[in-house]
Amino acid sequence: MFGWFGKVSFVPFSKVQAFAVHLKDGRLMGSRCKSCGLTNFPPRADCPTCMSEEFELQEITGRGTIYTYTRIDAAPSGFEDVAPYTIAVVDLEEGGRLLGWLGETIPPEEIVVGMPVQVVPRLFEEIQEIRVHYTVERPGTTWGKAPLQPA
Amino acid sequence: MGRVGILGVGHGRFGRRSDATVQELAFEAFRLAMADAGIDRSEIDASVVAAVPEYHKQRSVAGAVQEYLNLNPAPVWLTEVACASGSAAVRTAWMAIKSGVHKVVAVIGCQKMTELSTPEILALMGRVGEVQWESVFGTTFPGYYAMFAQRHMHEFGTTHEQMLQVAVKNHFYGAKNANAMFQKAITMEKALASDSVSTPLCVYDCCANADGAACLILADEDRARAAGDRVVWLDGLGCASDSMSVLRRGDLVGLKAVSEAAKQAYRMADVTPADIKVAEVHDCFTIAEIMAYEDLGFCDKGEGGRFIEERKPYVGSSAPAVNVDGGLKAKGHPIGATGVSMTCEIVKQLRGDCGERQVPDADVGLTHNVGGIGQYAFVHVLRRG
Amino acid sequence: MLPKDRVACGTRAGDSESGCRVDLGLRNKVAVVTGGARGIGKAIAESLAIEGAAVAIFDREGPSAQEAARAVRDLGARAIGLEVDVSKSEAVDAAVAATVKELGGLHVMVCNAGITRDGPSWKMTDAQWQSVLDVNLNGYFYCNRAAARVFKDQKQGRIVNVASINGLRGKFGQANYTASKGGVIALSKTLAKELGKFNVNVNVVAPGMVLTEMMAAVPPEFQATALAETVLGRFATPQDVAELIVFLVSDRARHVTGEVIKIDGGQYI
Repeated sequence: MFGWFGKVSFVPFSKVQAFAVHLKDGRLMGSRCKSCGLTNFPPRADCPTCMSEEFELQEITGRGTIYTYTRIDAAPSGFEDVAPYTIAVVDLEEGGRLLGWLGETIPPEEIVVGMPVQVVPRLFEEIQEIRVHYTVERPGTTWGKAPLQPA
Repeated sequence: MGRVGILGVGHGRFGRRSDATVQELAFEAFRLAMADAGIDRSEIDASVVAAVPEYHKQRSVAGAVQEYLNLNPAPVWLTEVACASGSAAVRTAWMAIKSGVHKVVAVIGCQKMTELSTPEILALMGRVGEVQWESVFGTTFPGYYAMFAQRHMHEFGTTHEQMLQVAVKNHFYGAKNANAMFQKAITMEKALASDSVSTPLCVYDCCANADGAACLILADEDRARAAGDRVVWLDGLGCASDSMSVLRRGDLVGLKAVSEAAKQAYRMADVTPADIKVAEVHDCFTIAEIMAYEDLGFCDKGEGGRFIEERKPYVGSSAPAVNVDGGLKAKGHPIGATGVSMTCEIVKQLRGDCGERQVPDADVGLTHNVGGIGQYAFVHVLRRG
Repeated sequence: MLPKDRVACGTRAGDSESGCRVDLGLRNKVAVVTGGARGIGKAIAESLAIEGAAVAIFDREGPSAQEAARAVRDLGARAIGLEVDVSKSEAVDAAVAATVKELGGLHVMVCNAGITRDGPSWKMTDAQWQSVLDVNLNGYFYCNRAAARVFKDQKQGRIVNVASINGLRGKFGQANYTASKGGVIALSKTLAKELGKFNVNVNVVAPGMVLTEMMAAVPPEFQATALAETVLGRFATPQDVAELIVFLVSDRARHVTGEVIKIDGGQYI
């Protein structure tokens, strides 16, 4: 399931793979150590501080600011068809950092270090398989979330 | 136990070496190093090979190299930390000698990168960074340093021209280095006009993949002193790591692992940055050299752009001369060999053997070798006498 | 593991003796039923309303649509009736937009509007052929497309397309009808593949003979032949078909998608 995440996946399995399922349903999740309360984004199963393996995923807002960015013109395998594309590193409001693609609400020429942004969960829509990612958009951008379902 | 010395150095020609296998490249450098050291093969207790495996068709390259160099049955193993493999091999050899386990150790940095097809290389290109959360968005090696550059420009006003001045310097010196991949100086106009790779970096901001090998022979103090006064001492070693993922680092305008490693090396060698006369730094990208000036304490944080603009790292200034063999930019970057190549150059500088590239009165030198996007850093201080 | 809110029938105070209510998760959902003014469509609309859904009835006859909507409101649910020629995509888009505006959203699309213009193929006119395809196939596509646009953005939705066993098999005199129903089946399977990642289920219900006005036009001898085909010895009522559709659009059927369920009393096995 973690293999759903990204345009090309190199990691099919992970202890935090429910992250990708939540992303499909429109929820961005960080992790929280059940033992000491430390939160992380990106989410991780093993607490770097207290070493506990008990963790839970919890939803974050996805609000943040741009720390840095670049437009990649020379793309690696699997990304040639979408080049050039702009990637941004976002410092998240609730802590942690994220790397994602610049979305359509921010034209590449308007990106500025320090600008506030909203990270939005996305599906690659026009393909059969399930693939998920997120984009970095203007604050206030909305998106749909599937209803929470019983397990 | 005491000091560890470098008896001999050997450096092959870097570039697109479609004329040789990785073992044959290793032998070129090994032959030169052995002649330089004036020792017999039977004296070599162990070898440490530095090479990055993903680029070779031969799996477990260390064994193939040891066999070709006819060093069996002496111990051999591979040391790999991406682009810092060469310096990691030096540190490993130093530790083996300091601990008393081995007396004389050969360090062989060798790398072929041109054996792979373009699709294979393009696939590897996308896996430089952290593959779970970053590579899935198409990050590349230049992409990461481009993001460092973007932030450096934002925080300190560093300009693209200042970055390209690093490339101009390194090609100026590379043109005087027969082993360098690129033998011609370049102009700022040509550099500025080159294609964009990952904004703000263009082709001339980036080093090139290359094939090549370099070799060192290290020995314990007794053996080193017996070799005469051409020996150069490995007096300061620093090493540190930082997170692989840029998402778990603090600022991206310098490499913390480098600052930490430099501190350790300076302390061990009992020197300050002002004592360094000549340095080899890891200019995989122009911005990397600018950050190196700052991280190594050659100038203050944020002043790296001005440092190169004022021609401080050229031979003849009061500051350390940096990359006067052309650096990664002009030599090319055969990843496993680079750290060993840097060490060879410093040894030759400290011996006074560098001809028109010689830094006057070079008595203390430094190598700065970074792996990947800064997750591995090795800083070594070398001294003559 | 049963969800916590399930209560066994007969144990909760207030349950009637004739049956117990179970929560199908349709309360406050908004549904469109095309061809909802009479027959199967009306039964579907009323059955959804009883489960707490709000219903928009699309029909080519405006007054009938509005009367059916009144009947639904009499059951205590919110409802609107709209005159819609489903063979016109602009009309469908406008009606779906009006539904979202008036009833507050859209969660369920049931396509049921269909016509017949029977005749053997060599005698079938262009108009007979085209008119059936326009309503039965194009109409379903326009409605499904309009619903898909809403559903994918909100990451939930249910589509049920009413086809026929005469779409799974050939039927003498119904080249146009069977082609349209066969087309609906393929269309639905494709949409199930396209929309699954957005938590949208798309299914087909394929009735055999149903006791409706349309059936009244079928000559008695053909009705007898059809009855003999069934193994249950009866025809479906509109309510029978509605029950299956209500189940398919409920939470209980969340894992059914891309499926074709016959509801024909064993008429075509």
